[in-house]
Amino acid sequence: MTSGLLARRGGALVVFGAAALAPLVVRDTFFLDALVLILMWGAASAAWNVASGYAGQVSLGHSAFFGIGAYSAALLSARFDRSPWVGLVLGVLLSLAAGAVIGYLSNRLRGPYFALSTIAFSQVLLIVASRWRGFTAGSEGIPVPFRPGFWTLGLGHVAWLYLTLALAVLFYAVEVYLERSRVGFQLAGVREDEDAAEALGIASRRLKVAAVTASAALTAVCGALWAQYVGFVDPFYVFSVDLSIRFALNTIIGGTGTALGPWLGSILITSLETYLRATFSGVKTGFTGIYLIIYGAVLILVVRFLPEGLAGLAARWRTAAARARA
Amino acid sequence: MLRLDRVTKRFGGLTAVREVTLEVAPGELLGIIGPNGAGKTTLFNVIAGFYRPDEGRVFFDGHDVTGRSPHAICRLGLTRTFQIVKPFGNLSVLDNVTIGSLTRVTSVRSARVDAERVIETCGLAPYAGVRARALPVGLRKRLEVARALATRPRLLLLDEVMAGLNPAELMGMVDLIRRLHAEGLTLVVIEHIMAAMMRLARRIVVLHHGELIATGAPAEVAADRRVIDAYLGEEFVLAQA
Repeated sequence: MTSGLLARRGGALVVFGAAALAPLVVRDTFFLDALVLILMWGAASAAWNVASGYAGQVSLGHSAFFGIGAYSAALLSARFDRSPWVGLVLGVLLSLAAGAVIGYLSNRLRGPYFALSTIAFSQVLLIVASRWRGFTAGSEGIPVPFRPGFWTLGLGHVAWLYLTLALAVLFYAVEVYLERSRVGFQLAGVREDEDAAEALGIASRRLKVAAVTASAALTAVCGALWAQYVGFVDPFYVFSVDLSIRFALNTIIGGTGTALGPWLGSILITSLETYLRATFSGVKTGFTGIYLIIYGAVLILVVRFLPEGLAGLAARWRTAAARARA
Repeated sequence: MLRLDRVTKRFGGLTAVREVTLEVAPGELLGIIGPNGAGKTTLFNVIAGFYRPDEGRVFFDGHDVTGRSPHAICRLGLTRTFQIVKPFGNLSVLDNVTIGSLTRVTSVRSARVDAERVIETCGLAPYAGVRARALPVGLRKRLEVARALATRPRLLLLDEVMAGLNPAELMGMVDLIRRLHAEGLTLVVIEHIMAAMMRLARRIVVLHHGELIATGAPAEVAADRRVIDAYLGEEFVLAQA
């Protein structure tokens, strides 16, 4: 039992444990920054995973919720002088409402149509945020003031690392809950076959709305923290389809519908991105789009050879090891 | 236990089920037969809440369930299986059945215990850990029944659970249905295999072009002129003789 638990959760222990110990060894801000981003993008992808992986409601517009969180925190802090924590709560509330509406739409729309409607939603928010100059500062974006302290989220790199690590562990726990709980089993049923789930007494529509709503709220938390960490909110970034695709990409590469997958994907993609940015920035502007080619290639390779993602690879090794022992 | 009152379901200009009135008594095992496209599965879809009838009402256990959602009807104690089986393909057999149990039991642990018992009853114990999509068709049909049973129905609708089975599997399924019936479960069974139906049901109703054209004991129905013309054919009569 204990060894089984270790085998199943060992990966998480390694990943999160290494992140926790990293500051004891490395003090380099470049490295710590990459680590914070890995954990944060992993958490945002885990939030996406709740709707798209566990409930099977594949969204390509989750940047909408990320942006809602980012703008809530940034506006409250920049315009109203409120703590970004208050902004975070506001962002979560707004995303709950938006998620419920989008989730409700998903009752009528299945498959690609749901994904398309989520893209449309994020693009509507992009237009609103970039045109409503008086309030959002439009396409210029909003600089988020840096005020040192925990309440104002003006933190150093090490503090940010532990904050995002706590976020990551929390989201990971949410996913583990979705694998082991009653609602998780029922969600799996809805994902696999909605009619069958319904025939077996599962209120499939309500469950899907709940999953999308929860997923939206978790994404907003990431958006709010990200705005504070980066210190600048640009509508064309936070509401972009690129960002939505990043959530999906991390999760698909790491393992859709697996608890650790989002972070495994994020480790690969975020470090790749950090490396590429450091290598190609400024000097060779012709190469700025190269990351798209590399992401595309990685995605094709994973879908072709590792359809269950990096987490699936780990599971395969485990089975092989168990067989070798038997 | 189940009562249909002049139930009609249309798809555009096609009337799939026309004014069907039917009653199923507690503890009964009712058979429904009829040619392809007669409206048998549509009737199941109306009863189980997947389609809302255009006219008429459906009563289950004294409740008017017309137009209620399938999950609400299942929770009242009426569960159906699907003719084209719908296993949760990526989940194990045990997980499939556990999801059914969780409709009655809140704790995952006791739902598992429950599911293991149902799997045992249905003869699926050796396959508990197998992914549902890896099962051959005969076992998928069993899984379909097991999952439905796990929701602890008082009335079970079986939609062609014997189609596509080999003779040994067929015997097993007939045996399983008999056992369930003997334990007091009320069943409505759609089936094409007349031989199996004759052995199972005390009463059979015949659907043709969406209408109930005959009802009675298997032997009566088999001798009914309209049923022979519409469905069984002369060969069946000769084979019986």
